[in-house]
Amino acid sequence: MDQFKQKAIEEAYELIADLEASLLVLEDNSDDKNHISKVFRIMHTLKGNSAMFGFDYIAEYTHHIESIYDLVRNDKLKLNKDIFDLTLSSVDHLNLLLEDVNLAEEANKTRHTAKLGELMNFVKKINALIESGVTFIDLDAGKVTQESAPTPTVAAKEVESPKAPEPPIVEDKIEEAIVEEVKEKQFTFLVTINPHKELLQLGTNPVFLFDDLAELGHAETYAEIITDTIDFTTLNPTECHVIWRVFVATTQGIDAIKDVFIFVESDCDLDIKQISEDNVFERKDYVNDINKILGISETKSFLDLQYTFETIVKPTVKETKPTKASKPTVEEPKQEVSVPVVAEVKLEKTSTAAKDAAATSIRVPSERLDTLMNLVSELVTTQARLSMFAETSDNTEVTAIAENVQKLTRQLRDIAFNICLVPIQNLLTRFQRLVRDLSAELKKDVELYIEGSETELDKSMIENLSDPIMHILRNSLDHGIELPEVREKLGKPKKAAIHIRAYYSGANVIIQITDDGAGIDLEKVRNKAISKGLVSADTNLSKKDIIDLLFLPGFSTAEKITGVSGRGVGMDVVRRKIMDIRGEVDVDSKQGVGTSISIRLPLTLSIIDGLLVEIDAVSYIIPLSVVDKCYAVEHTKIETAYNNIIVLDGEQIPFYYMREEFNCQSTTPLTEQIIIVRFEEHRIGIVIDTIIGEYQAVLKPLGKMYKKQDIISGASILGDGTIALVLDSNKIIKRFSQHEMAI
Amino acid sequence: MNELSTLTSYLSFKLGDETFAANVSKVLNILEMTKITKVPKAPEYMKGVINLRGTVLPLVDTRIKFGLTPTEFTANTCILVLDIQIENDTLQVGALVDAVQEVLEIEPYQILPPPNIGSKFHSQFIVGMYKATEEQFIMILDMDKVFSTEELLEVHESSQGTQ
Repeated sequence: MDQFKQKAIEEAYELIADLEASLLVLEDNSDDKNHISKVFRIMHTLKGNSAMFGFDYIAEYTHHIESIYDLVRNDKLKLNKDIFDLTLSSVDHLNLLLEDVNLAEEANKTRHTAKLGELMNFVKKINALIESGVTFIDLDAGKVTQESAPTPTVAAKEVESPKAPEPPIVEDKIEEAIVEEVKEKQFTFLVTINPHKELLQLGTNPVFLFDDLAELGHAETYAEIITDTIDFTTLNPTECHVIWRVFVATTQGIDAIKDVFIFVESDCDLDIKQISEDNVFERKDYVNDINKILGISETKSFLDLQYTFETIVKPTVKETKPTKASKPTVEEPKQEVSVPVVAEVKLEKTSTAAKDAAATSIRVPSERLDTLMNLVSELVTTQARLSMFAETSDNTEVTAIAENVQKLTRQLRDIAFNICLVPIQNLLTRFQRLVRDLSAELKKDVELYIEGSETELDKSMIENLSDPIMHILRNSLDHGIELPEVREKLGKPKKAAIHIRAYYSGANVIIQITDDGAGIDLEKVRNKAISKGLVSADTNLSKKDIIDLLFLPGFSTAEKITGVSGRGVGMDVVRRKIMDIRGEVDVDSKQGVGTSISIRLPLTLSIIDGLLVEIDAVSYIIPLSVVDKCYAVEHTKIETAYNNIIVLDGEQIPFYYMREEFNCQSTTPLTEQIIIVRFEEHRIGIVIDTIIGEYQAVLKPLGKMYKKQDIISGASILGDGTIALVLDSNKIIKRFSQHEMAI
Repeated sequence: MNELSTLTSYLSFKLGDETFAANVSKVLNILEMTKITKVPKAPEYMKGVINLRGTVLPLVDTRIKFGLTPTEFTANTCILVLDIQIENDTLQVGALVDAVQEVLEIEPYQILPPPNIGSKFHSQFIVGMYKATEEQFIMILDMDKVFSTEELLEVHESSQGTQ
């Protein structure tokens, strides 16, 4: 049970993250129906899940928020800032509740009581307004609309689906009031349930569904056996071959009916139609009408059905909404359908699509993924041995098998990798909230723009990125961005902008955080460093050197220590954290214009496609992703090359001679290979002895002892048990070019 | 502290003519010589890396670390796989030694305080001295400290000072 509870809590955290994202969208556009519904749905799910696992406090709390959003959703309440702030603070509170579901700590309990009281007050206020007969509440406007529907057009109003708030818990006053208001209005729906054969095997008991429907009002169920597909000689009695048609007369809307099927949605084709705007069962001869409908064969379209009903009973019948199971009909009602309703139909459709997508994915504990990756790594290593063995054996069959295994391993590896990739979105949306809260706290007006949130990164990297990015954002908000008044004086737009851009660049993912704030005051940084004794006053420092000072431990330019930044743990922690995941941090800044911080990360952490080469009888691996071309050159050409530049294919290419850089003593081969690698926008040659071939390298860390050897990004064990070192071409070029400059 | 650290067994090994000892709780394995992959641009005492059953193990030339001439490989040359505690991390290191001798049982009272002679003597790396025979002293090393420092140790000269 505990394990299920744990899962429920995990899921709740995810829901809350979604919730936050939706709320932030709503903040900009409070009329976004899509997101209002989403907030409502999330609250509804949270409530349901919590009640199921006995998290009563959460269930109670979410219930009230759900009520509020139900009103918003049904155009009875206008979303305003108060409601937002209330909901956002509720999000924080929900997080707290999730940490301590039973409110074991006294402090949490008091907090919960206070929070709940606050929420209840709000609910009561709205409640009172509703009881006084108000149909649309706009708290901002200060006035309330009496009896006038908020629907924009008459046409829309006409076809608007008769939605009454459906939360089944009626103890709450709000709901009671609304239910009363619409009590007289009853609708009859025809619910056709066409279950998939496996429905019963999945443990669903349809009888409970009928009971639930009956609770909504009056329901009658008719079963129809699908005889034409049944072959009694082979019939599997555990399969379901029945279609049910349930007539439901209820005061509640179509959503209430849909909620009944929320758990079996994916196991059956569901079709819900409103067939009448009254309670059919109140008619004397309703049995005849129903029989007539049931008598209509399945092939007849809904239009026919509608027609039948219209001729039998006078009240107009309208298609409320086509569900996915409905037949392609509905010509006439469409003309009537005005824009708002179309939008709503779309909305519902996307939500079902999302649910379908959810059904095809599963949740897996991350340890299992780690184990999978480790096993794949071992498999790759073993496969390398097999390939090696096959090469030396004369048996052609072994060679063929080895080749096949190699192919399969490669595919398996790629898939295993893909599984571990997560879009960066999950990480970045968190920051929307951070920026919002912090800018309010600092009285700054800042907008965060996120681009490329679909960029995918290894999940272990995502986990490690959160803190550094948060720190960078804090720095930017606290030091970088000026107060609105200052910005205005400087002729900058009052609202500052922070952009987070994530994109692929070769074998790297780059996350760039740019603000249009004050930029780094180089002089100030320099003076600070001098006063802290980090550099001496007479040192000549370039812009880059000064920026590098920011990364020194204990460096913080904040004049006063704020809660936001300036605790002394600064950019050095950021750099260290990023380096832990083999990334790099670059800072560029222009005073008065802004600062841009780029985080460059390797795409993968554990297995790469590499080019296996040899330098002085030692094997090295160059990541294939950076390799452009290979050429064979004579040693004499290398030796005589002036200023380490060689002309290849009519292009001048600077190169690094690895034998020289590594101080190799042995005699040089007559012909050497030059590998052209991409470095930023340039093409640079690396001269090595021989190329052995392509190789899938499982990266192993070299360990702390070799931490300073940053030109080697790891090691890999070859098929014969020897070790190949993985060269980081970017670092090589950086290191040796600096070296040259120093000379 | 765990049980291992209170063990009274010590493994003695030779570097040149000197005999040293390390608590067996620090020694995971004794390996024969294997193929070493040299890491370019590394300090001289970092001999390279070896493949220890699928993991990459950094290898230290203990002789260079202790200020002696580089190890010459003989049939007796061994690699001690050591468990080193640096700050809060444990890491594995291979240490090249000229020969492995024996496992000694040394009770705490038998460990003499390190002698305070010789200016170059890095007494912080030495737990104490053990008198094996009338002529021979064995230096008991604190392996954590020896391998967590990056500098070269001048144990050689200092040990001469004790004789």
